[in-house]
Amino acid sequence: MAKEKNHIGGSWEDLAVPEYFPEPYTEERAEEEEEDTEEAARDGAVKCSPTLLRMLKAAESRWTPRDRDKAEPSKLGRKVSEAEALKTNMKIQLNDQQEEFNKLPTKAGPRPLSHSVSQSSADSFSSVGSVSSEDESPPQKKLQKTSKGLTDFCIKNIKQAAFGRKEIDIAQQEMPALMILRKRAGGEKPLAGAKVAGCTHITAHTAVLIETLAALGAQCRWAACNIFSTQNSVAAALAEGGISVFAWKGESEDDFLWCIDRCVAADSWEPNLILDDGGDLTQWMYKKYPSLFKKLKGIVEESVTGIYRLYQLSKAGKLCAPAMNVNDSVTKQKFDSIYCCKESILDGLKRTTDVMFGGKQVVVCGYGEVGKGCCAALKGLGAVIYVTEVDPICALQACMDGLRVVTLSEVIRHADLVITCTGNKDVVTREHFDRMRSGCIVCNMGHSNTEIDLASLRTSELKWHRVRPQVDHIIWPDGKRVVLLAEGRLLNLSCSTVPSFVLSVTAATQALALIELYNAPAGRYKQDVYLLPKKMDEYVASLHLPMFDAHVTELTDEQAQYLSISKHGPFKPNYYRY
Amino acid sequence: MSETAGDAKSEVKQASKEVKESENVAEKYSAMTVSRNSEINMGELSSVFSAVPTHKPVKKQIQFVEEKQEFSRFPTKTGRRSLSRSISQSSTDSYCSAASYTDSSDDETSPRDKTQVNSKGSSDFCVKNIKQAEFGRREIEIAEQDMSALISLRKRAQSEKPLAGAKIVGCTHITAQTAVLIETLVALGAQCRWTACNIYSTQNEVAAALAERGVAAFAWKGESEDDFWWCIDRCVNTEGWQPNMILDDGGDLTHWVYKKYPNVFKKIRGIVEESVTGVHRLYQLSKAGKLCVPAMNVNDSVTKQKFDNLYCCRESILDGLKRTTDVMFGGKQVVVCGYGEVGKGCSAALKALGAVVYVTEIDPICALQACMDGFRVVKLNEVIRLVDVIITCTGNKNVVTREQLDRMKNGCIVCNMGHSNTEIDVASLRTPELTWERVRSQVDHVIWPDGKRVILLAEGRLLNLSCSTVPTFVLSITATTQALALIELYNAPEGRYKQDVYLLPKKMDEYVASLHLATFDAHLTELTDEQAKYLGLNKNGPFKPNYYRY
Repeated sequence: MAKEKNHIGGSWEDLAVPEYFPEPYTEERAEEEEEDTEEAARDGAVKCSPTLLRMLKAAESRWTPRDRDKAEPSKLGRKVSEAEALKTNMKIQLNDQQEEFNKLPTKAGPRPLSHSVSQSSADSFSSVGSVSSEDESPPQKKLQKTSKGLTDFCIKNIKQAAFGRKEIDIAQQEMPALMILRKRAGGEKPLAGAKVAGCTHITAHTAVLIETLAALGAQCRWAACNIFSTQNSVAAALAEGGISVFAWKGESEDDFLWCIDRCVAADSWEPNLILDDGGDLTQWMYKKYPSLFKKLKGIVEESVTGIYRLYQLSKAGKLCAPAMNVNDSVTKQKFDSIYCCKESILDGLKRTTDVMFGGKQVVVCGYGEVGKGCCAALKGLGAVIYVTEVDPICALQACMDGLRVVTLSEVIRHADLVITCTGNKDVVTREHFDRMRSGCIVCNMGHSNTEIDLASLRTSELKWHRVRPQVDHIIWPDGKRVVLLAEGRLLNLSCSTVPSFVLSVTAATQALALIELYNAPAGRYKQDVYLLPKKMDEYVASLHLPMFDAHVTELTDEQAQYLSISKHGPFKPNYYRY
Repeated sequence: MSETAGDAKSEVKQASKEVKESENVAEKYSAMTVSRNSEINMGELSSVFSAVPTHKPVKKQIQFVEEKQEFSRFPTKTGRRSLSRSISQSSTDSYCSAASYTDSSDDETSPRDKTQVNSKGSSDFCVKNIKQAEFGRREIEIAEQDMSALISLRKRAQSEKPLAGAKIVGCTHITAQTAVLIETLVALGAQCRWTACNIYSTQNEVAAALAERGVAAFAWKGESEDDFWWCIDRCVNTEGWQPNMILDDGGDLTHWVYKKYPNVFKKIRGIVEESVTGVHRLYQLSKAGKLCVPAMNVNDSVTKQKFDNLYCCRESILDGLKRTTDVMFGGKQVVVCGYGEVGKGCSAALKALGAVVYVTEIDPICALQACMDGFRVVKLNEVIRLVDVIITCTGNKNVVTREQLDRMKNGCIVCNMGHSNTEIDVASLRTPELTWERVRSQVDHVIWPDGKRVILLAEGRLLNLSCSTVPTFVLSITATTQALALIELYNAPEGRYKQDVYLLPKKMDEYVASLHLATFDAHLTELTDEQAKYLGLNKNGPFKPNYYRY
């Protein structure tokens, strides 16, 4: 049966491959699976795939007592962060704008090709502010030293380390999966000898990831992938903990590249793994240090943009190390789109407009993962939902889920709320706007800021009126108002927070991808872009189950034999759709 | 074999007449008993059961036919069964929703021995009674109402005749729904010869109506094993007509052509196979390097899979449980074993009715999905003492064991939605200390020495096949998929398909879905040129990359 599955997978991949998404990993996936089955036993025996039972036990013992301790600090933390979130909307927006501006020159090209934006990649920063010091001298110029005498780092102010440590401690509570992973690996060091150069947002959550990698035996050097997202205190705490961090909030473009360069080019330290978010670090190494680039054991890339770059490199035959696309792993995808959006659509709308959903007529444009999440959430609150869709299969799914499939023009006159999540552009046009009824709320959950045709609203006869941060009233000459949220940018990024659970899924996926690449026997991965093996994907999921107190059933030997799968997974063929 | 078949037939004939008439009545009755229920004592299930007399004959017939079918299939298919994870609803069981109720004449001579001529003088067919054609025509017309997708396919493609020159031999259930498919193929230009893939499932009057219209149909209800192969052979082996396409359900026809007519087999342009079993056979052939034509696996197309599993089971779990036990779901504690497509459907349906649902799972990804959907993920042993209903849909074996059955509370309902009859260890219940009491067809009370009763449905066989019907809409999806697969294979430029087993291309899959949208009055948005360019897509699809998970 296992072989038969392979075969189905194989011939499926043989079919028309969409032009806009490079294909290379397809064959490799099949190969990969074959190899996986061969090596399943080995995997089971060595590092990161213990029996589920053992892992669960470890998880339970770790989690139960901690849960009790946690109650107080987390309550406190939540209050603070909620209060802050409202206050800081303005600031967040500013960051966001600047970030977009700053990113555009490098990323304008690939962007349109990315269908989904990774929540955790694009915006881990928006949920966490950072206290900045008054000291305004550039960090490069300062002489910095940790209490242990380490000077190989560059951050804003090492004195904030104690504060940052607290932040990290809180984050650790929210990312039990990584803590379980640390505990599990315990004595073994699956990353011993690994030298990881990282470029991600530097927040308390990534700090937990970095320290996990360190705990698993890796040596890490880290830079920020975004000039505004760094939490200075966290960077300080990392440096104090002995990790070479080069990052501070409010870097200039020059600083940004300087940090990356310092990260890669260290005396007597050559990175053999890259953990990247956005592809900047990879790009830099490829351009500036081709000799180092050739020696890499692997690249783990998280963002859609970075993956696109990798596929281009791979197509051009210039990728000389295996790369792992963690963005498209099942678990991460589901959490980034369906589960995350299911929650943030309500959160975002409530925070900005205090709208009540019961009985409201809502149009959701697009019924992909994000659309499915939004619809499910709104339906739960009693809204009347219409769906627009271009893909007949998704349209049929919407029908079977009890939603009316319409074209936007049909219902635009009675819609109270229009939500776009198509990944397309100009889904809501000026013409639609003109026909909306007064008070209609328009927002975007899909992709950057192209879905709503904003440019067409910047005309002289329409008055824009900002009523609160992220909320604009656009007033027609006849007095009609349309409520536009976040100026058409992503609502879930601008007006709500990314749950730390989602960040935890991402971080765990990255850590496992690094472990997989580093420990893979020579030849399993060639110089190409791969998806995370299903087994690792399943492992990420299993690391998160203790949070739900969920108890996974274990197959008996007999049952496993009957299904002809291994007791420890992978449980599904590659083409399984979940 | 033929003897039992004869017996069965007379009984079937009698019972099946009641089906149509009593179905509605029975439903009314069961509605009544539910309300009466609340006044009576909830604990006394048996008294409630006896209050529904009209149910019995109906159920008996359906069950009877099915048992026979399983028996007759076993010799050829037992071996492979265990390998098929999911069973195609529309493949395995289109017959159980549409019973033939005008069963012919008292004439008991075998159709093979009769000379038959239709009104146009053709005698190239073999059915039970050509005189039933008019009646069958009405059946087909009714089915056409529910299969608007195929009708609109006819309209859209009639002028092009995409199947002109195609000579299709088919082997499927012969019911009104497949008749619509066959006539669609004819309308698109194909010549068809057809036979039944199951000896019991044929609707005689439909076969007659097909024959009357000039389709060479060889099928009647209650064929013997011998008749079955004779029909297949007549279908393939005619003078001056050589098939170039095969539409198969179960792989029997393909197997026959491969074995008996290797020369014909080599010239086939494509095989379309629907059932899991047949697909498995094709993969085996292909692995052995003996498949010399392209084959299309329509069973695993996205649309069909979703309808066979998720949507179909979402409805039939409630239907099946209501019909058999009249249970009320609100507040009941239900454990669903397995959270794949079937499990997701069952859980969603039960949750909607207010049941408290627990899920058991082995795959951490699916388990995490269950968590995020708000279900408690537990091990069966943790909740076995509390639950009122246990539904298995794992595709595995011995998911519910004797030990667990021993610990269940009184009145617990146990049923299987997953895969054949392996999930519940029924054999372990056949011990002398347990008393089995059949309270109605498909419902057994298993009574422990201390008086505890466990209610076992359909003896652990598939509940949705035994105790509920397959909606025509699901059959329509299947039929449309088959038609499009034939068109695709027949019209594909040389070299697109090699000698291998393929999945339906995504574009065709999308087309199947789009043909069904009209039923919902759903209006699809069209991409503007600019938008299509922005996304790097063709305006007409395919819209998603192959790895998209829907």
